[in-house]
Amino acid sequence: MYVERVMGQAVAARGMATEKQIFNQIQSTKNISKITSSMKMVSAAKLKGDEQRLSLADAFNKWTTPLTGEPVLLEGATYDELPQKTLIVPMTSDKGLCGGINSFITRGTRDIVAKVTADGKECDVVVVGDKGRGQMKRLLAGKIIRSATEVQSPGSFTLASALSSELIAAGAMNYDAVMIVYNSFVNAAVYEQKYKLIKPYVIEGEEESMLEYEFEPDTKSEVMVDLYEYLLTSQIFHSFMDAAASEQSSRMTAMENASKNAGELIDSLTLKYNRARQARITTELIEIISGAAALED
Amino acid sequence: MLSNAIRRVPRVFSVARRAMSTVEESSSMSLNFNLPHESIYSDAKVAQVIVPGVAGEYGVTADHVPVVAQMKAGVLQILHEGVAEPEKYFVAGGFSITHPNSVTDISCPEAVRLDDIDSAAVTSAFEEAKSKFSNAESGSVAQAEAQIDMDVNRSMGAALGLTLV
Repeated sequence: MYVERVMGQAVAARGMATEKQIFNQIQSTKNISKITSSMKMVSAAKLKGDEQRLSLADAFNKWTTPLTGEPVLLEGATYDELPQKTLIVPMTSDKGLCGGINSFITRGTRDIVAKVTADGKECDVVVVGDKGRGQMKRLLAGKIIRSATEVQSPGSFTLASALSSELIAAGAMNYDAVMIVYNSFVNAAVYEQKYKLIKPYVIEGEEESMLEYEFEPDTKSEVMVDLYEYLLTSQIFHSFMDAAASEQSSRMTAMENASKNAGELIDSLTLKYNRARQARITTELIEIISGAAALED
Repeated sequence: MLSNAIRRVPRVFSVARRAMSTVEESSSMSLNFNLPHESIYSDAKVAQVIVPGVAGEYGVTADHVPVVAQMKAGVLQILHEGVAEPEKYFVAGGFSITHPNSVTDISCPEAVRLDDIDSAAVTSAFEEAKSKFSNAESGSVAQAEAQIDMDVNRSMGAALGLTLV
């Protein structure tokens, strides 16, 4: 697909491509195929590192599961459980040539916003990643309150910490929940879209959170605020790692498909080239023979 | 008659279990000690953990009351079963959550083994932070950062037995 878009321009202009033109096409297609296959190998190497980081992040983030629950698949989700006011944080990539990961997230976010609005609830969006920002700018212009671009993939705990401070500065605690929408890595060929719902703690009243725990120091409200920020940072960090691994696997698949398409295009162009070459040689032979025949007579 | 007695016994145990939330069969606790870039302990059975809480140090054994504690920069000690010497880590803050089922989750952004800390490096880092503190203007971000640097290095020094002023 990437290859054909480039090639299409060269052929469409003239009616019959000459041998030289076909030869040029073959050369540029070979160059592109070299680039895509090397990108695939780079992604495969990076994926190994990202997978390892993800398994460490999984272990690190396990402490949040009793507190916020497991992430939920976007597919088949009804979003009925979303509260009145949600802050949606979709995670996308900055670089392109990565397959469909950003489109899936954009579509998912668009569906969530539509459902939330239809239910009479409110939501705002903080986009992470340049590609997502570009795609969502058109659809959800009014909802986007902040965007974070040029996020060094795969990110680190410090980065997650900075992002969560930014979210809290943007008023995250005033929302009823923060919803992180991200791609989750399954294996080198498969990734799924998931979301995490993180609710701030209720300090007092009937719905007071974590009643059965004692707090050190005694000021439960202060510790809860810090715990919430740390929880948010831990979850964001885990989503960063998951999204980075998904991005690499998606890029690997996309580049492999591009290389395969380029290979097929090179094969068909080579056949065309050979036919053009043979036609030329035949024409030259005919000219020579008819010329010689004319001289004989 | 004997079978009746046998059937009655487990029920007595379960009533006791419900009445006293801390009485359980387990004699050791399960520890999860994780950093973002390293998983130090995962479901490890240990005898006791001494946590440097902000309000003070406290020890966690099996069947401890559920606690959520914010940790300050200090020394975390892990006592394994049958080992006299505790394993010491210097942690840079974080949270320790002890659940009702004797599972403790300790999560910090950074932690190092006490053995891996070089006391000369700590002393020089402390001196550097101290000079930055005095050179920075009062109330600025730089001064606050230098203060944090000093405090962390001082606690690291204290953990190693150095007194840094």
